[in-house]
Amino acid sequence: MEVRYQVIVLGGGPAGLNAAKYAANAGYEVGLIDAGTRLGGQYWRHTGREEFDQSVHHNFDQGSLLMDAVLANPRITVHSETNIWSASIINDEVVLRTNNGAFITQRLILATGAYDRSLPFPGWDIPGVMTPGAAQSLLKGHGVLVGKRIVVAGTGPFLLPVATGLSSHGASVVGLLEASSKYSWAKNLLELLRNPAKALEGIGYLLALRGRKVEMRFRQAIVAAHASADGSLESVTIANLDSEWKIRSTYKLSCDVAAVGWGFTADTAIAYSLGLALDVDASGSISVVVDENQRARQPNAAIAIYAAGELTGIGGADLALVEGAIAGLAIAGSAQDLKTLKKRRKKLLRFAQALTKVYPVASGWKSWLSEDTTICRCEEISYSDINEAREEFDASDARTIKLLTRCGMGLCQGRICGRTIADLMNSTPQERISSASRPILSPITLGEVAQEGLL
Amino acid sequence: MINFTFEGEPISVEPGTSVAAALLSHGERITRLTRFNSTPRSIFCGIGVCFDCLVEVDGEPNQRSCITTVKEGMVVKVQHGS
Ligand code: FES
Repeated sequence: MEVRYQVIVLGGGPAGLNAAKYAANAGYEVGLIDAGTRLGGQYWRHTGREEFDQSVHHNFDQGSLLMDAVLANPRITVHSETNIWSASIINDEVVLRTNNGAFITQRLILATGAYDRSLPFPGWDIPGVMTPGAAQSLLKGHGVLVGKRIVVAGTGPFLLPVATGLSSHGASVVGLLEASSKYSWAKNLLELLRNPAKALEGIGYLLALRGRKVEMRFRQAIVAAHASADGSLESVTIANLDSEWKIRSTYKLSCDVAAVGWGFTADTAIAYSLGLALDVDASGSISVVVDENQRARQPNAAIAIYAAGELTGIGGADLALVEGAIAGLAIAGSAQDLKTLKKRRKKLLRFAQALTKVYPVASGWKSWLSEDTTICRCEEISYSDINEAREEFDASDARTIKLLTRCGMGLCQGRICGRTIADLMNSTPQERISSASRPILSPITLGEVAQEGLL
Repeated sequence: MINFTFEGEPISVEPGTSVAAALLSHGERITRLTRFNSTPRSIFCGIGVCFDCLVEVDGEPNQRSCITTVKEGMVVKVQHGS
């Protein structure tokens, strides 16, 4: 199968939904391609059971109105459960090969979102240790609690809704640990007040958690996880940290789930394959470079590629919605004035930048690693394997380490450990960008390749 | 309800449930044993990114349980190696 659309939007989260809506309203036939079974992305992941969905989301009405509008729009065709395995530019057209055939366009909007950033620590590969996003997606998408005694840890504003959701749906949140300082907020207060609604949402979570006797502990982190005889998580070691995140003292806590996350990493795989200009910020986070209309930079003038949402810098759903709207209108060449939208984007961008200052990841996490700590989960490469390659072969950059150890070359293609290796090897920005290459975007069977006539 | 088996044990779930959600809600945590060290793994990212939740579905290995929807009669097994 081969389908052409005037505009193709990749990703059914807040940015992609709004981009599709605005481009369609401006008169274009839009194909919206999404990997999920239901629209909404990670942010508005839902079960389709109204009452439950309302109970796990902060503001589900906004999402459900937008999803309904997209589904009801005759100019938008939604392709769900569609995974892209290759994205390329052929004869002045973008060609996306998927499990549901090829999709072709000259106007593409990328809104591929982000996933949790993980840091390695001893035992992080034990069943029961997972990302906050995993705990959240099972709750929001299926109403399933991942465990009974849960520790939520790491850094960032996302820990709050996750802990609140788990606790209010019956799990006992036995620990809520924020590695940054309790005064971090105060130091950036003025900038943070640019988005009072978000600040209030955060306070709301803290109050709800306090009502359930869950207090956030600052400057603490899980630095080791321990398994029971059957191999599942049974307890964690928690450390009090200094300002560099080096361990000052530790205590143990028993739990069956540890949900640990350190902010987010944008999913830049498709952007990279299409040759878009990428950038790296001070925290090592890679994003797509866009102009004031959300248009990405790439050499082919016959093609217009835009990007919106987390892909252009981690900034949350409100910012993603505005960027999606701008991208949708701009790609359609709409005459509508974008001034108000751009003003709102500017305000939300400043808020997002302030948030990254509140939750920096300090380099002391490297001191939590032991020789046998797994670094690459797919290929089972330990910290000592990396150190050996470093010493014996005098390997000084991430690429050489990768070739020597196979670290980052497993099924996830470095999505989980790529950023960690770059941190461990002190990679340059350019090295970080080239490490974002994922030759195969999603796994594919030979049967699917044959069907496409590529064999 | 949709019926499937995991390691030969019958499990019934609501339509639209992912294999990972079905297993977790029935107290089954371990989805695979790793290739080299045979250590158990389970869901990690929950959204199809990490490939740690792999299971064997109807004889096909390397299926991500977190993004695979349960279908009637499915035969799901712990994956050994990758
Ligand atoms: S849990 Fe990561 S791919 Fe399924």
